Amino acid sequence: MSLDLVWHYAPSLLSGFAVTILCWAAGSALGLVLGFAIALLRRLHIPPLNGLIRAFIELFRGTPFLVQLFLIYAGGPSIGLKLSATAAGILGLGLYASAYFAEIFRAGFAAVPVGQIEAAASVGMTPSDTMIRVMLPGALIAAVPAIVNMLIILTKETVVLSIITVPELMYQVQTMAAETLTAFDAIFAMAIFYWILVEAVSRLGSRVETRVTAFLAHEARA
Amino acid sequence: MIELAKVSKSFGAHQVLRAVDLSVGHSEVVCLIGPSGSGKSTLLRCVNFLEPYDSGDLHIDGRLIGYEDGPNGGRRLMAPRALREMRREIGMVFQHFNLWPHMTALSNVAEPLRRVRKLQAREAADRAMAMLTRVGLAAKADAYPSRLSGGQQQRVAIARALAMQPRLMLFDEPTSALDPELVGEVLEVMKSLAAEGMTMLVVTHEMGFAAHVAGRIAFIDEGRIIDDGPPRRVFHESPEPRVRQFLQTYHDRNSF
Amino acid sequence: MKPEVILHSFGYLTQAAATTVAVSFAGIVFGFVIGAFVCAARVSPRPWLRRLGGAYVSVFRGVPLLVQLLFVYYFLAEYGLDVPAIVAAIGALALSSAAYQAEILRGALNAVPRGQGEAATALGFSGLDIWRRILLPQALRISTPPLINEFILLIKASSLVSVVGIAELTRVSMNIATQTYRPLEAYVGGGLFYLAINLCLGGLGAVAERRLAGAGAR
Repeated sequence: MSLDLVWHYAPSLLSGFAVTILCWAAGSALGLVLGFAIALLRRLHIPPLNGLIRAFIELFRGTPFLVQLFLIYAGGPSIGLKLSATAAGILGLGLYASAYFAEIFRAGFAAVPVGQIEAAASVGMTPSDTMIRVMLPGALIAAVPAIVNMLIILTKETVVLSIITVPELMYQVQTMAAETLTAFDAIFAMAIFYWILVEAVSRLGSRVETRVTAFLAHEARA
Repeated sequence: MIELAKVSKSFGAHQVLRAVDLSVGHSEVVCLIGPSGSGKSTLLRCVNFLEPYDSGDLHIDGRLIGYEDGPNGGRRLMAPRALREMRREIGMVFQHFNLWPHMTALSNVAEPLRRVRKLQAREAADRAMAMLTRVGLAAKADAYPSRLSGGQQQRVAIARALAMQPRLMLFDEPTSALDPELVGEVLEVMKSLAAEGMTMLVVTHEMGFAAHVAGRIAFIDEGRIIDDGPPRRVFHESPEPRVRQFLQTYHDRNSF
Repeated sequence: MKPEVILHSFGYLTQAAATTVAVSFAGIVFGFVIGAFVCAARVSPRPWLRRLGGAYVSVFRGVPLLVQLLFVYYFLAEYGLDVPAIVAAIGALALSSAAYQAEILRGALNAVPRGQGEAATALGFSGLDIWRRILLPQALRISTPPLINEFILLIKASSLVSVVGIAELTRVSMNIATQTYRPLEAYVGGGLFYLAINLCLGGLGAVAERRLAGAGAR
């Protein structure tokens, strides 16, 4: 695989990378917002709603991401949902992520020591004030490591989008590989690329995580 | 001021409080002592309805707490808003301080003033600062709880409860989670509160404090108050064998 | 939505489900063997072995599974003998799972309280015996629930081997979708089978957790 080749395909590779980032960012954002909303709704303790939520989470965590994508992209039109591959990819990633984020936020809420809630109750704070001023900050702080971890997992899941023809990086690489008969080299390059990317993002993520948690929790810095 | 009449409570099959009678008068300091599992913390937490009691009457200044008269003549749970209003008048200090870790000491004290008493930021901050000064921690106003010692955290917690200007204060083993060295500073604050005439109900193992500051000692065992009287009498001349036995092991372990 | 589609394809889907379970099982078993070696490297007293183990985990957790799968597939095509796609599939799943299992085993080893090994040493046990009689049994016990969880994850990951043509659940669902022109029913059918498998495994995991937690805490 020569450098000329890569240069020739550079525009499509860059566009692929841009699509990867777009899908990851949009999917993660959707997942975070939806997951958070679900976690909040769960706290209302309305049995039929909670049953629905549990079913949703079981569904998206118990089935493969690829099958979910096919369902949305190929099966969607049957129920009037005609999406482009990229839109389906973002929606799929978002729904998939939301099930995991919902559980992460739930664990975050559970991690807030009950004593802090009791203290709020003992001075007569309203439930909404308790939630906004005591519960939420505590829950978010507790959830940061798991959120960072999930965001890293989502960067890897974006390659699955190529299977439903979303023009992200993997798809572009495979197109290039097919046209130039350099499948092995191309995949090898992809492997190296993703290894470096994920390793770098993981390290960055750890640092961000430590800083953010320390700042939010105001831990004593030695 | 606090009147408990035949208050009972069970956790499932386990009965924790058995028809407890207790009263605490204005400006009185009553210490609740007894073995672990006797129900003393549960009893305290019933007073501000953090634990709902099952039967009996609990009145504060003549007002029934936790329940109100139901539509059919029976009794039903008090409306949440009414309960919150009552809780404003009751201060509580917890064994594990329960300060909010993402707020400074000052913010911890000011927060209830802002959210519950609806004070403006400036006024709340001023009052909070006054309270912190009262407990000797003005210098630590901008410190986060993680930077404070246990004794300092508990004093901030006391300031937080005091800032609401409650009519009475409940203390749930306020020094049990502290290193021995730090216990003194908290007891000093509590003593000064008592001297100012605050009505206090204190669950504690600190017999020295109880002996010198309490007006009355109530000994609770297996959900029942089996002795109730002035410290001198309960500590040294109790007619109840169980009380003498408890205090004896205490003396054995603690005098050296 | 026509549920009959799912019913008519029931036979195919069941067969495909069996393939999914078989492929995943092979993946996790081989992954365990490889993972045990990687774990040994990670906890080895020799620094170069530790680095090697660390690199393995970093690579096989960092590179997306799809990329790993295609890499193994093309690698075998380019350099290897003419092996069926299933070898590439199981191989890729095993290599990937090994990285996660190595970390699970390492975590389990760390979770065995140090005091137990120390007590054994004080009593005069040999190093090998400490391993065989004290550390290993407990580490295996502790790692069983996360390993069952890993199996569930592998079942889901196995859907990717559809791209190399293995007739597992996802591929068969795709076939049903194109043959019956009813993609919704096809993928719902496939999804339901995956759910069924994972719910069973989840139940197994819960049972294992209860029984093993009881046995340990005495």
